[in-house]
This record gives sequence, C-alpha cells and structure tokens, in this order.
Amino acid sequence: MVCALGIEGSANKIGIGIINNGNVLANVRRTYITPPGEGFLPKETAKHHREAILALVQASLKEAQLKPSDLDVICYTKGPGMAPPLLVGAIVARTLSLLWQKPLLGVNHCIGHIEMGRLITGAENPIVLYVSGGNTQVIAYSNKRYRIFGETIDIAVGNCLDRFARIIKLSNDPSPGYNIEQLAKQGKQYIKLPYVVKGMDVSFSGILSHIEELADPSKRRNKRKKQQNESEPEYSQADLCYSLQETIFAMLVEITERAMAHCDSNEVLIVGGVGCNERLQQMMGIMCEERNGKVFAIDERYCIDNGLMIAHAGAEMFKAGAEMPLEDAFVTQRYRTDEVLVNWRKD
Amino acid sequence: MMPQQTVVSKVNESTIRVPFDTPEHAKIAFRVLSVDQEPRRNFVQKSLSLEDDVLVVHFIADQVKNLRTAITSFFECLLLCQDTIKLFGEQPQSQLNNNAGTQSSADST
Repeated sequence: MVCALGIEGSANKIGIGIINNGNVLANVRRTYITPPGEGFLPKETAKHHREAILALVQASLKEAQLKPSDLDVICYTKGPGMAPPLLVGAIVARTLSLLWQKPLLGVNHCIGHIEMGRLITGAENPIVLYVSGGNTQVIAYSNKRYRIFGETIDIAVGNCLDRFARIIKLSNDPSPGYNIEQLAKQGKQYIKLPYVVKGMDVSFSGILSHIEELADPSKRRNKRKKQQNESEPEYSQADLCYSLQETIFAMLVEITERAMAHCDSNEVLIVGGVGCNERLQQMMGIMCEERNGKVFAIDERYCIDNGLMIAHAGAEMFKAGAEMPLEDAFVTQRYRTDEVLVNWRKD
Repeated sequence: MMPQQTVVSKVNESTIRVPFDTPEHAKIAFRVLSVDQEPRRNFVQKSLSLEDDVLVVHFIADQVKNLRTAITSFFECLLLCQDTIKLFGEQPQSQLNNNAGTQSSADST
C-alpha cells in the first residue's frame, strides 16, 4: 500500500492529486487562463500558482479525507516545463516533505502522463502518443526505458493550436484547443495546408506561419509590401480550424501508425492535453480499426496536466525503491522522457 | 566616468535576516531554499546560513540590477515556504493567534 500526494505545476495548470494503491482519492486543479490573444508567461503563471497551491493542498486532503500522516510519499514535477511555475510546486513539496517527515520524489512530467494513461485504461504495453502544449512524442517501451520514436522538431502540436487560437482571438477558456475543436465542427471546406512529416518526426511551425497568413492576409501585405489580388478567397475561421486539425492530426496518426508497425504493437494510448480532442481520438480509432488494433484514450480529468499522474508515477517509483535526497530535489526545464530508468515495470 | 579599474573590484552585497517562530522552522526553510542554485548567467552568489531561529541569506553581485533580481526571486520562494510552514506546520502555542488572520490552520495537524 502506497499513498502518494502529487504536485504538478509545469505549465499553466496547478494540480494536486492523492492516490492510494491505484485508487483515486483526490484530484484538484486550477488553470491560469489568459485573455484571448494572449499566451501565458512564466512569471505571471508562477504568481497564479503561488496564490492557488496551498488552498489546493488543503482541498485535496479534505477530498481524500486524509491526514498528512496517512501519506507515504510526496511527489512533485521535476521537469520538463517552465522553471518559475515548476519551482512553485518544488518549494511546497520540499517544505511539506520536511514538515510532515515524508520522503520526497521528483517525477518526470512525461512519465507521469504515460503511467496515468496506463493505469486508467489498463493498456499493458501500448505505443504512446504524447501530445500537449509543450510536447509531441511517439513513445514505445523497450528495455526499461520509454524510448522516443518520433517527436516534433520545432514547436509542440498544442503550441501550434494555442498560437493559432491566439491569432484568431479565440477564448482561452476552458482551453484554446477545446474552442478550436468546437469551431472546427462547423468547418465545411478543407483548405490545403503543408503536411510536414520527416521520417518519424513532425514539424508544425511552418504550418502555423502558413495558416497565419491565410487567417490574416492584411499582415502579409504589410510584411511584404506587395498588393495581393483582391480575388483571393477569405476563409472562415471554422474552415481554418477544421483544416488545421485535420492536417496536423493526420500527421500524428501517420507517425503513430509507423511506430506501431515498427514495434509490432496493436495498442495506442493517447495522453497529454491535446489527447482529449475527440477528433484526434476518432482519427486514431479509424487507423487502429484498419490494423485490427485498439486505441486507448482518457478524458480531460486525467489527460490534461494533473497532480494525480505525478502522485501515481511517484508511487510506482517509490514502490520500486526510488529515493531522492533533498539536495537533488531541484527542477529542470529540460528532462527527456528516455532519461528515466523505468525500473517499476516488470516486462 | 573613468576609474573603471577600481570599480570592478567592488561588489554589491546584501544580507537578509529572516526570523522564524522556532529553530526547527528556520532549519526547514534553510534546507528548502538551499536547494536551488542561482542561474549561472546571473553572476550572483547566494549563501544561506542558520543562526538559531534566524535564516541568514547573503548575496554578492557585480551589478545592483542582478542583486535586485536575485533578491526578488528569493523572496518569492521564501514567502511561499513561510506560508506553507504557517499553514501546515505545527505552531508553538504563543504564535497561534498571530496567524488567525490568514488562513485556518485548524485541520492541518
């Protein structure tokens, strides 16, 4: 029996989760939402987290009906992510660890997503597509590591969506990606966009610049000092959202399918914030059906960054005997998925 | 202003002394805040020490601007650590009333 409290704050979400031997006891979260057209910046996000985190810790203990003494381990996100918000979680985790005299463990954010996805769906050994605002990776487990088979070579898929939402001034509430998904349902015509798959890797920044010009042709005229012919069609926002989603999701499905073929696997698990997009799940489902495979997807409670996944991954590490002296409880902006030795998996 | 050579050897310094309710709490803050290193490009040296229930932090920087940045971010961490201790730590009896205004600590122990 391991009862773990997890603190996640690597991006604009601050979340606390408590898990006891695989049973979810509490999962509370607050999101820093910026006005339309604006992204979240490290300093302001850290301030938001500082103001929310202690009340969330209290709320999680109340929801779980636990006393601090019932916990076995405190877990926090060590990286990757933005340093100032990460540090908020780390400071509170260290302080609680010393106050309550509980061991402390730093967890890789990506590993948290993968382990949470496996716990919720029961997928044994899936190909993992990890898609969020900061990461885009196709991952397969082999020989005690989660190996990255393919990834983005520039910006993450969620970053591409978020920034497009900013360009067309969509609301960031509850999330820019959700609002794009809703608007895309009204899209009627597909606009051809660049399709950028390079081997097992993908690239989104060129697509973003391209669609940016389509969405706001006035910008292009100023930039290049060239009059465009006025006959060029104006695209509706819905069509742009629809076309962007179709294109970038098709790219993701392609590299995932290739990873499945390479590893001779017929299970796919989608995790990360973009993973709760139902169109992506649907497209992945079609691909899997054709290969007689199965797709595992989870809902926004566990897909979007949350403290529970950190608690769960930390609990797995704790059970496997992981220890972390306080001096090593720092945060790091770069922390690759394959740096972690996955010694809690038996296969 | 010409006398650059003499200015170069001079340093900007600052010492902050933070008293805590108990030596134990001061020690916790000391250990929590000692973990994070100053960013290398900041050119600030930070050293923490303990004097019973007082946390002593000493900053040395080549520029006042860097000193300010380092102190500002240190205070952000310090305040968060202090708030966490206040809310979840055991309070000495005499101190309980002082925190009544912030948040209830009734169910924290």
